[in-house]
Amino acid sequence: MKVSKLASLVIIAGVCLGMLAGCGGGGSSSSSSAKNKKEIVFWNPFTGADSENIKKMINEYNDTNPEYKVKNVAMKEIDMYKKIPTVVSSGKNIPDLNIVHAERIQQYKDSDMLITYDDVLGDYSDIKGENYVEAAWDMGELDGERYGLPLDIHSWGTYYNKELVKKYCPTALDDNIVTFDEIKEAGKKAKADKIAAIGVTWVKPNFLSLLKQNGGQLSENGVDPTLDTPASKDSIGIWRDLYESGITNKDGEDATQIFVSGKSIFLPEGIWAQNTVNEAEFDWGFTNSPQVSDDLSKAVNWSSSHQFVMFKNDERTDEKIQGIMEFIDWLRTNSLEWAKAGQNPASLDIIENEEYQKMPQSLYINDPKERETLTIFEYKYNGYVSEYLETNGFDTVFGKKSIKDFTSGMEKEVKEKIAKDKTNK
Amino acid sequence: MMSVAEKAKGKKPMKVAIKPWLFLAPHLIIFFIFFLIPSIFGVIVSFTDWDLVGTPEFVGLSNYQEILFNQDSIFYEQLRIGLKNTVLFVIFTVPFCIIVPLLLAAALNAKPKFWKVFQSLFYLPSLFAISAVAILWTMMFNVSFGPINHLLGTDIPWVGIQPYAWITLVVVTVWWVIGGNMIIYQAALNGISKDFYEAADIDGATSIQKFFRITLPAIKGQILYTVVMTTISQFNVYGQPLMVTKGGPNDSTRVLLMYIQQNAFGSGQSIAGMSSALAVILGLCIMVVSAVQFVLLRNKD
Amino acid sequence: MKKKPVTKIVAFLFLFIMAIIWILPLLYGFFTSFKSHGEIMTSGFKIMPAEWVLSNYSNLLVNNTSAPLLRWFLNSMFIAVVHTLLVLFVVSFSAFAYSRLNFKGKNLLFSFLLVTMMFPSVVNLIPLYKIVDIFGWVNTPMAMIVPGAAGVFNIFLVRQFMDNIPKDFDEAAQIDGAGEFTIFTKIILPLIKPVLLVVALFSFTGSWNDFLWPSIVFNDVERMPITAGLQLLQGMYDVKPGLLMAGALIAIIPTFILYLFAQKYFLQSMSLSAGVKG
Repeated sequence: MKVSKLASLVIIAGVCLGMLAGCGGGGSSSSSSAKNKKEIVFWNPFTGADSENIKKMINEYNDTNPEYKVKNVAMKEIDMYKKIPTVVSSGKNIPDLNIVHAERIQQYKDSDMLITYDDVLGDYSDIKGENYVEAAWDMGELDGERYGLPLDIHSWGTYYNKELVKKYCPTALDDNIVTFDEIKEAGKKAKADKIAAIGVTWVKPNFLSLLKQNGGQLSENGVDPTLDTPASKDSIGIWRDLYESGITNKDGEDATQIFVSGKSIFLPEGIWAQNTVNEAEFDWGFTNSPQVSDDLSKAVNWSSSHQFVMFKNDERTDEKIQGIMEFIDWLRTNSLEWAKAGQNPASLDIIENEEYQKMPQSLYINDPKERETLTIFEYKYNGYVSEYLETNGFDTVFGKKSIKDFTSGMEKEVKEKIAKDKTNK
Repeated sequence: MMSVAEKAKGKKPMKVAIKPWLFLAPHLIIFFIFFLIPSIFGVIVSFTDWDLVGTPEFVGLSNYQEILFNQDSIFYEQLRIGLKNTVLFVIFTVPFCIIVPLLLAAALNAKPKFWKVFQSLFYLPSLFAISAVAILWTMMFNVSFGPINHLLGTDIPWVGIQPYAWITLVVVTVWWVIGGNMIIYQAALNGISKDFYEAADIDGATSIQKFFRITLPAIKGQILYTVVMTTISQFNVYGQPLMVTKGGPNDSTRVLLMYIQQNAFGSGQSIAGMSSALAVILGLCIMVVSAVQFVLLRNKD
Repeated sequence: MKKKPVTKIVAFLFLFIMAIIWILPLLYGFFTSFKSHGEIMTSGFKIMPAEWVLSNYSNLLVNNTSAPLLRWFLNSMFIAVVHTLLVLFVVSFSAFAYSRLNFKGKNLLFSFLLVTMMFPSVVNLIPLYKIVDIFGWVNTPMAMIVPGAAGVFNIFLVRQFMDNIPKDFDEAAQIDGAGEFTIFTKIILPLIKPVLLVVALFSFTGSWNDFLWPSIVFNDVERMPITAGLQLLQGMYDVKPGLLMAGALIAIIPTFILYLFAQKYFLQSMSLSAGVKG
């Protein structure tokens, strides 16, 4: 009896020791600001196929033997945005460099989580507004201070099936703008053949771009929302109208799948979706996102931008910040790989590149007039608007929710969520 | 509770008092550090307004007041809609999640041919992560390309309208989760002594009578366990309504945990105080329901 | 004691019908994993692949520095095994105390533990991370092994099974002079092997399938468990069903093997006629 008791205790102790000691590879060698290694820990949401492109760029940079090499830490976007407050509030393991979507910079700044680039920009004369796409560059500056440097600007557009366009609306693309009127016309003809004119895709870019085209805005003073407006109603109304005319995909169908299998003419989607669209077996083209007017100067193409930011971190040395700037400066002239992922690099340097010119998304960067249509919707609380659109957009388009309730509900919800935010007081 | 033998050996009461705590210590220590403290933190947050990064601002009971009493507030709406849908989900799924595995376990217990293959088949889905299950069933129920519409010859937009959206959720959930309960019931059924059944056979009992008079009472403990556990777990449902029906149509499958998650980790600034308050309320509901189940099932004969 | 043949036939028919329903989605998932993304996007309804491709699997099994599949697999194994051992240890000791020992506040404590488990933990993520950090466990397997062992539900399950063991055995042993620990190891433990196996299966599977917490707590790709790692192969915006299915099928292999192994022992009879040991 005593022996077995002893044996059990020994086993238990052994397991405990094993647990404490073993732990596959010793201790929390935190892969964040490793002081001893000359390494820039770089968090980004680029997973899947995109991660290959980003890795190629980083490897290329590291091969130039910089003083600080970049360590790629990719994670899923939702996890990254969960991890940021978790880690930053713990004060440890904070990354050296982060990619965030441009619209989020305001809230991070207001919560005092970021440091600025202003002290170091002087040393890098080429990192300046003239060398970048304006919309993307502007998003990084808040209250006269620079918190973000752009990596890319990714925009919404329209993919089209060239054969079907020839069949149902041969002149629509002559001015490289597809209007909703043209879409409706095409739809009437295509209906007989059971071809949809257009797919109902991600509500946010579709709605916001129309909102601006219709003269509306998310907020007048940057804090309080102005969402329950006629412009708002018209914007969602256009899509409801398309659905009720029977020229869109059915409720529940995947619009991209319908397009790629040749059953619809137009697909509003982002430039980043081109690799998926490429699975199609027909000839396709890319143009501006659907517009109300065919006047390019009035066109709006919803865009967002991935920006480099630095979260406050006591362990990040000045030398390391220099290292970070070297990396960003290098990227300015070496972003082709990122274009291959279907993105539009924010650096205007890319225009020089022949290979880039052949890519469909170059449409937006080559022509200065096109660049002006790229609109990033900066509004501190766009996250709340986004959430509402996600949960209520499709229901409204497909007729399950009234337009009146949609806009009034949006205004109310965003307002009440804002009321909980203390950073305005 | 000392036996005569122990008393005779002169064991002091003191020893008996410490021993249980030695047995309990490993769990209690881990529980205290890694669960209790974070939970208490979570409850405290419910009394604040906090965006997870700045300093929390203590607001006392105002979050609860708003959620429970302010009919104008969207958070009141969140509780109303979310809790209602969660409760509906529980009501629709829990009975199936108990009865189906029970019947399967009983059938398996008869050990017909290939029973091991059957058991593996029913258990297999529970090994998959929810993301894979959701994608799979989204494709199955796809209105144009899905096998289900094809086989039934229908055109139903399953996740787009009710009551089909609920049916979808129930089917997915039952397919996915019953493996665990089935195994528990099987282990339990296998432990019932054959003597009882032999005695019943001698008395000329039918299969059904044997099932209700011998089998069920014998595994009462495990049934209690599975009913309570399944209920708790379905109150916590999140993945299926999020990924399969996406809360629709028209918020009719938007469960409370979806609002809780969105408030804390949504696209906008975090509203952690409200999120925690809703979570506490959900917890209280679960507690009440479980307590009722305990009382009812404990006394059942 | 043979079961009547009629019973067996009825059982078989019932199981067969249910099996057909159950297997259809699995087959569909299996076939999907062999379809190219292009085919999934373009072909209408088809169960079988028009063209069987292995690319979904080859993309996953590539085992390079950015997707170190082998490393992920080993990480998961280490984490899941140690976690399961810890859980078995903690759960069996605790269940014994609640089932067999009497002490002040026993039921109160047990109820308290159960009740706290009923509250959903969302914001708890933040302090949990901090605590794990204090121990220095961020980015290490310990962060996944230990916190999960706080669960009470397994204790509840094992306790239910233990309660079914008649106290006569204990008393007989006590008369022979056995102390609590001996009763625990020599009498109770052997009798609850089936349920411990169930707990082991559930713990292992739970640990193996967890991908939310690991993606928060691990920073290095090489330290991640496989389920979190496979997530990284999914793109930012689009979902590739073929790839996802292939990943899912690969990920369940170890848990399924464990289940097959356990299957033999689940049903070891907890028959009361088994002799009292010791």
